[in-house]
Amino acid sequence: MLQAEGVQLLCLTASSGVPLFSRGSTKQLPFSVIGSLNGVHMFGGGQGALLSCCETDRGARVVWRVFRDSVMLIAVSSGGDSTVTELQLCRLLENTWNCMVLVLGQEELSNVRNVERLKRDLRSCYRLIDQLLDPGDDESVMGYLTNCADCLLPPNPSLLQEALDAFTQAADSEFGCLLIRGRVAVATEKWWRLVSQEVVLLSLLVRCMSGTTSCDYPVFLPVGSPTVAHRLLRFQLLQGVDVCTLCGPAPSLHHAKTELVGRFWSPLMETLHGLLAQTQHTPVPSIALHPDILALLLINRETSRSLSVPGRPPAVTPQDGVPPLPSSSRRWELLRLFYTFAITRYFTSGEAAAPPAEPLQEDFSQGFCHTPLHCYLVTEECKCYGLQTPQHQLFLLAALTMPTFALRSIATQTLTSITAATGF
Amino acid sequence: MSRVVFHAVKMEYERNKSLGVAPVIPHGPIIVADWHRCPDSKEYFTKIFQKKRRKTFGLLEAPAMPPQIHVDTVRYKIFLAGKSGVGKTALAARLGGSDIPNMHYETTGIETTAVFWPVKLKENGRVLFFKYLFWDCGENALRRFDHLLPSCKEQVDAILFLFSFTDHGSFEDLSNQISRVTDPSDRIVKLVVGTKFDLFMHTDVTEREIASFQETWGLPVFRVGGDVNGGLGEVAPLLNALAEHLWHQDCVAASCVPPSSQV
Repeated sequence: MLQAEGVQLLCLTASSGVPLFSRGSTKQLPFSVIGSLNGVHMFGGGQGALLSCCETDRGARVVWRVFRDSVMLIAVSSGGDSTVTELQLCRLLENTWNCMVLVLGQEELSNVRNVERLKRDLRSCYRLIDQLLDPGDDESVMGYLTNCADCLLPPNPSLLQEALDAFTQAADSEFGCLLIRGRVAVATEKWWRLVSQEVVLLSLLVRCMSGTTSCDYPVFLPVGSPTVAHRLLRFQLLQGVDVCTLCGPAPSLHHAKTELVGRFWSPLMETLHGLLAQTQHTPVPSIALHPDILALLLINRETSRSLSVPGRPPAVTPQDGVPPLPSSSRRWELLRLFYTFAITRYFTSGEAAAPPAEPLQEDFSQGFCHTPLHCYLVTEECKCYGLQTPQHQLFLLAALTMPTFALRSIATQTLTSITAATGF
Repeated sequence: MSRVVFHAVKMEYERNKSLGVAPVIPHGPIIVADWHRCPDSKEYFTKIFQKKRRKTFGLLEAPAMPPQIHVDTVRYKIFLAGKSGVGKTALAARLGGSDIPNMHYETTGIETTAVFWPVKLKENGRVLFFKYLFWDCGENALRRFDHLLPSCKEQVDAILFLFSFTDHGSFEDLSNQISRVTDPSDRIVKLVVGTKFDLFMHTDVTEREIASFQETWGLPVFRVGGDVNGGLGEVAPLLNALAEHLWHQDCVAASCVPPSSQV
């Protein structure tokens, strides 16, 4: 998605400005431009100023960030018709750095001894980084933006939870997770104690490997264990169902695959098949949404988990007099934009997910002395409603046919019904 | 994994023995060549397809045969060895019938791919599903993390040594690879696969070199490459050859004949 919108990602050494790699948009920036982008940041540094973001009058944006004084990442969006927000670019830089640490470890990235070698080693991060730039056809995955794990709520979690806990324990680990179509269905208690960005990245890594049956990947956890690698074992139980554990030296992949997987998961095969079918169209099969809701994003702020639920699919033949509903991919795009809009303007206070560098634009919310709890937006394509409670944030997209005055009560009811029914 | 097969073969051997049939290590081809082209294979081969594409099987899944037909599955672990960039991941994808990545990404750990392949034995017309598990591990990851190579070698049944026709270095590296991952005393099936054979315009490895390599090492060399249209023709020769060698090895092991009898 970002790739389609002409985002380019550059990586340079922070001290000398040697280009390490460039990913994204097919039209690569000329070397002189890359040099200038680095130069202007360095110039600012010399004057005691930190340059973190700029925007041209045609809507192009550049975001800079230096990590551990050793690597500089720059994201450039080309502007034009596309709408890539500063928040999206900041998240992209953070996630890219985390991917680099995940694969190579912090040590290798912070103490660069041999630039040529680092360049070569960084190639092993391309697959994850390209996935960040273009997450493929599953556009309802929002974790890269929200820093919350994309979840799915199975109707009978206890059965799965028991199996997962037992399986994880048998694999000499406390960290285990069951993913359905790349979303966390159940996870062990310890898995949920990982930093949410790590959960998001591990889910991303598993999504990257969808064609294979199992894997044993050394991974560094960007926050939890940036210098010591763990082993991520992942097994594809059915197509679309993956179970993973984070292990130490034992068990071997061969042993886990031949001895453990069948023992713990074969009895649940029917359950898993059923779950795949139930969740084909929605991550929350137990809830029926109001028919005018196009899509929604629900975040649990305490647990850093999120649900992105699609609404009624667009009608195949548009009816006379009724404006056509946006396509499903457009809905997710609108929802991402509305999320960014709300999170940067209204729901900023105590927001753990705020961009790391303070936004340089004039802080809109500082004009208020209160914390907004609800916000709404009516556009030509849809109506949007956002609300937050101490525990949740809900971002909802509704069809234009829904009366604006009804948005609030529908949003509140939706939140109550989902949380009451699922305990999310 | 081959223990399962070993067991199956052994049972057959025991049964034959009780019937007074002498154990036979077949000479010449053991399996029906090009069976995927025969009409009687259709009902088996359709089970590894889904919507005209090869089906990917999760660990809990297997081809679903109708209840009246019983087909045994024999499992083998096969390690893909070769220099970085020769196309180990692409070969695994090609054999498994999934999309070959259009860009080269380094594999940063071990990835395994399961491939089901129906095989008909010549001797008694019995049909078996061979379940190959291809183990693919990036060379750089192997170098950075010590535990990966032993894990790949653990109970391995066969090793495919890969080189690329466009990279002479990868061909020269073969002997290194062979001595690094195998032991002369191993009873492991070893085959060599040359990848990117379609790029003959840029080929870097001559037929003469391959012939002399085959003579020195006594290992068969296969050639793969080119566009993939999902047909079986492009993977069948290699998958059948693997079946042939692995089954022969199991027969040898089961009847304790010295491994000198070559196929």
